[in-house]
Amino acid sequence: MEIRTITAPFTDEVLSSLKAGDIVNVSGTIYAGRDAVLPRLVKKIEDGTFAETGIDLQGGVIFHTAVSRAGVGPTSSNKAELEGTMPQLTAAGIRMFLGKGELKKETIEMFDKYNAVYAVIAPVTALLNSKVLSQKCLFAPELGMEAFYELKVDGFPCIIAAAHGEILK
Amino acid sequence: MTEEDEMEFNYNEVVAKVADCLVRAGSTFRQDKKNAYKCAIANEELERAKWNLETILDNAEVAEHDRSPLCDDTGIPHVFVEVGPNRCLTGAMMTAIQDGVRQGLIDLPGRPMAIMGDDAGRIDMSGGISPNSEDLALAPFLVKEVEEDVLRVHILMLGGGPAIRGITHRIFHKHNLQVVLDEIVARAKDGTRLLGCTPCALAVGVGRSQFEATSMMMEAMVYGDFSKQNEMEKYITEKVNESGVGPLGLKGKTTVLATFMKVGPQRASGVRVVAIRPGCCFEPRHASVEL
Repeated sequence: MEIRTITAPFTDEVLSSLKAGDIVNVSGTIYAGRDAVLPRLVKKIEDGTFAETGIDLQGGVIFHTAVSRAGVGPTSSNKAELEGTMPQLTAAGIRMFLGKGELKKETIEMFDKYNAVYAVIAPVTALLNSKVLSQKCLFAPELGMEAFYELKVDGFPCIIAAAHGEILK
Repeated sequence: MTEEDEMEFNYNEVVAKVADCLVRAGSTFRQDKKNAYKCAIANEELERAKWNLETILDNAEVAEHDRSPLCDDTGIPHVFVEVGPNRCLTGAMMTAIQDGVRQGLIDLPGRPMAIMGDDAGRIDMSGGISPNSEDLALAPFLVKEVEEDVLRVHILMLGGGPAIRGITHRIFHKHNLQVVLDEIVARAKDGTRLLGCTPCALAVGVGRSQFEATSMMMEAMVYGDFSKQNEMEKYITEKVNESGVGPLGLKGKTTVLATFMKVGPQRASGVRVVAIRPGCCFEPRHASVEL
């Protein structure tokens, strides 16, 4: 089985080459956030104050996870606070969401407009922990494990579940 | 603690045993679960379904070796105690068990996810999150008398995903078992489709009230064995697997690895209260220890 390694943040060329069903290792710099913090970031995008955060979303990846001493692992991406913030975060530059669970058809169609993709990552915390090289809190540290983090990772195993309007069948 | 209590049990020993039990629950696949995964891997035809199952099993090997969490959602600790005819569960011992749970949450480590504040603050999380793993309160004890002369503590670590997709609701049985089984299958199909963390260990409890149905469901998880399935359990598993949701919701034959079902006493009426929990690929995260 062929497993490609792709490095975030992604270029349009890399994103265009991804197909639903591809198994990839994601390396590089990614972001981590979930229910509590992503709606806050979207509010800052909407009220025009996002630049204050100093966060660069272009070509970026958001992994729907908490970051705690227990490690990282995907939470359900179809929760209202997560799937509901995908349109604004994608419009602002994010090109891959890492999570789990089925998304709505309209979300998949929205991704296609931006050449963005959805990848499913197994909740394999013990394995993932060995692939996190560093972590840094970037926004809302008062939220503890639910704050917005930057992670440097080496080879998170994922499956592309939706790309270019196609859903894994 | 009174002198009398001290004579009945060794506090430090109970704390250490319970802490170790919690770490095993949060980091270890029992052999029957490993065997179920190996059978599922052999049975899957889709390459990515096999890969998903193998990745989950690899993760379990690493977690067991490192005594580290299987999943970053380390779960809410639930304690189920079996008490034999000549054994005694005192309030002091329950306190020691709670202290053992706290120590286990430090050792695992558990995800710090205790919500602070008053009733309103805990609902909307405005009370904040405690930074301490051990502040996570355990759920109310469940206690069951058993014939074996033993005092045995079971720990279950219950994650959030299955709690989102679980449901406790009535079924009008129409004096027909098939009606109830098919409704369980329909609800389980809905839950597993959205769960994301399949393959699932489906826990089902049937009782006369919401409390009893949920208690039966908990008991099903405590005693469930992947290698022992009765006809109702097999039927539910097979029917839900027809959905093709597969591992991680990415298609395949294995949506459910096994069903654990416990039927309690029933009410003389047309209703059955049924609790269903589509446990994730790590559940039931369960271990036990004798005190």
